[in-house]
Amino acid sequence: MRKVNLVVVGAGPAGLSASIEAAKHGVKALVLDENHKPGGQLFKQIHKFFGSEQQMAGTRGYEIGTKLLNLAKEYGVEIKLNNRVIGIDDHNTLAIIDNHKYSEIRAKKIILCCGATEKPLAFPGWTLPGVMGAGAAQTLVNIHRVVPGEKIIMVGSGNVGLIVTYHLLQAGVKVKAIIDASHKITGYGVHAAKIKRAGIPIILRYTVNRAMGTNQVEKVELIQVDKSFNKIPCTQISFDVDTICLAVGLSPSTELARMIGCKLYYHPKLGGYIPMVNQYMQTTIEDIYAAGDMTGIEEASIAMEEGRLAGLACAISLGYISDNAQSQKALENIRSNLSQLRMGNGKGGIING
Amino acid sequence: MKEDYVVCRCEEITLQEIKSAIKQGAITLDEIKKYTRAGMGLCQGRICSTIIIEILKEHGYLPQYSAPPHSRIPVRPVKIWEYIGEDQDV
Amino acid sequence: MDKGIKYDGYLSEKELAGAPGVPSIDQLNVKPLAVIECIEPIPCNPCERACPFSAITIGDSIWNLPVLDANKCKGCGACIPSCPGLAIFVVDMNYSSTSALVKIPYEYFPLPKEGMEVDCLNRKGEAVTKGRIHSVKTTATFDKTYIIGIEVNKKFAMEVRNIRM
Repeated sequence: MRKVNLVVVGAGPAGLSASIEAAKHGVKALVLDENHKPGGQLFKQIHKFFGSEQQMAGTRGYEIGTKLLNLAKEYGVEIKLNNRVIGIDDHNTLAIIDNHKYSEIRAKKIILCCGATEKPLAFPGWTLPGVMGAGAAQTLVNIHRVVPGEKIIMVGSGNVGLIVTYHLLQAGVKVKAIIDASHKITGYGVHAAKIKRAGIPIILRYTVNRAMGTNQVEKVELIQVDKSFNKIPCTQISFDVDTICLAVGLSPSTELARMIGCKLYYHPKLGGYIPMVNQYMQTTIEDIYAAGDMTGIEEASIAMEEGRLAGLACAISLGYISDNAQSQKALENIRSNLSQLRMGNGKGGIING
Repeated sequence: MKEDYVVCRCEEITLQEIKSAIKQGAITLDEIKKYTRAGMGLCQGRICSTIIIEILKEHGYLPQYSAPPHSRIPVRPVKIWEYIGEDQDV
Repeated sequence: MDKGIKYDGYLSEKELAGAPGVPSIDQLNVKPLAVIECIEPIPCNPCERACPFSAITIGDSIWNLPVLDANKCKGCGACIPSCPGLAIFVVDMNYSSTSALVKIPYEYFPLPKEGMEVDCLNRKGEAVTKGRIHSVKTTATFDKTYIIGIEVNKKFAMEVRNIRM
């Protein structure tokens, strides 16, 4: 069995930043990712990111992905793609399907950066072809260059819903409306303004009542909701659409953390049950660290800083740098970047759509 | 006719089946999973657990009482031939 | 009554008047200026660095709103493509005796052509007037964002924020 010092699960913004930070200090980091391309969700983000210079603000998401990959290469990080981690045991052995072959790797430290999955919304007709996650629609237009449909309705006015709508408009798709059950737009105003000035209606206090169609979505029926999200009878309106995109939130992918017994806690604003982590991004299991969206749904800029924190903490605990005032100062710097990004609110300062 | 649709697509469990499980006293995600098999399919509840948590909430059972169920190997769908190491044309 | 950007998706009169990056009409009547339609605290500050004349200040906390110093601003438009929210415009009220020049960030294809007559849309996406495309510009530093200059009737200069061909 192959033995390594550090395994990072997931090659998204958190995982890449973690491995780069660890490798900077001499730790040979191995990154495993189940996809055939690294970068997580970064390569489908064709818009410019917020943040400060440190988080490469003003740069488009896919360019940040390229920059991270170049850095990873420069520092000798090993990235293995098509590697699905299917389990971890309590001796830090990872069970992996490596390009269709089972294998095992033992690691001294593991950083979990498993990301999140899109939340669904159930309504009569939600299993019809044409109902899809906004992230899936984004992958189709920006990675595969295929439009998901011709007439789309976007459910959810959070940042994901607003940004994906913008990408769909850029791809030439007709977006009929963005709807949200909330009484206000939940994403950033500037994202909403881009959509609004393109003439796309933003309909608040409405939810999907049902999707109709024989072999695929042909029509969507919306219904108004009150302050407690109860449907108000006789308020239905409908749109002819062939695609319903759901941008109703993300849930952290905690399967691996749960399998090894990391303690989870409930934080509704961050996506539900998430692993508890300390100031080093260490979980309640000594050798297991976690960073990025799986420790709470936030921005990519935050995922990168959390990854760096975990990577540096692992380098210290593996003995590659001594645990002295200087290394503690370096950790503190990353934490202060994090609290800047969160405006001192701790976890939960910024919530993504 | 009561409104009905599939909630767990992997195991084809419907809304009415979930509601009747709640009526029978299954009031957490884990209990509903054991009672109906919702969440025991290929995706291991990655999709339907959010929906079931919402249904429970509508019935007055708060999401914080529905801690995610145990997670077991394999956490991703694996083909048997991959697992046992047999060669197969991919 | 407009409730504001978080309800309607566009800035209300009140929000515009209170935005520290939006100059007053009096200031705009003197010379071309940047109009920074940014009123919501977001952890973001690229516009501050983008300004060659230090006319935009965000300060220590990246959550602060950008403040425009109309005395320093020369209306050059370097800040337009730097804004990830595409919320910065440049308005030249005195382009001619009757028309103003509005510069907007633009990220759609096909691009308009210089001299073309287009529908000019307000913040709500409604066509309010016709305008003429004055310029279509990009450089490597704009990173694929284009700056479109539109010549419009003066009275629509503070309304027009998008075009439709």
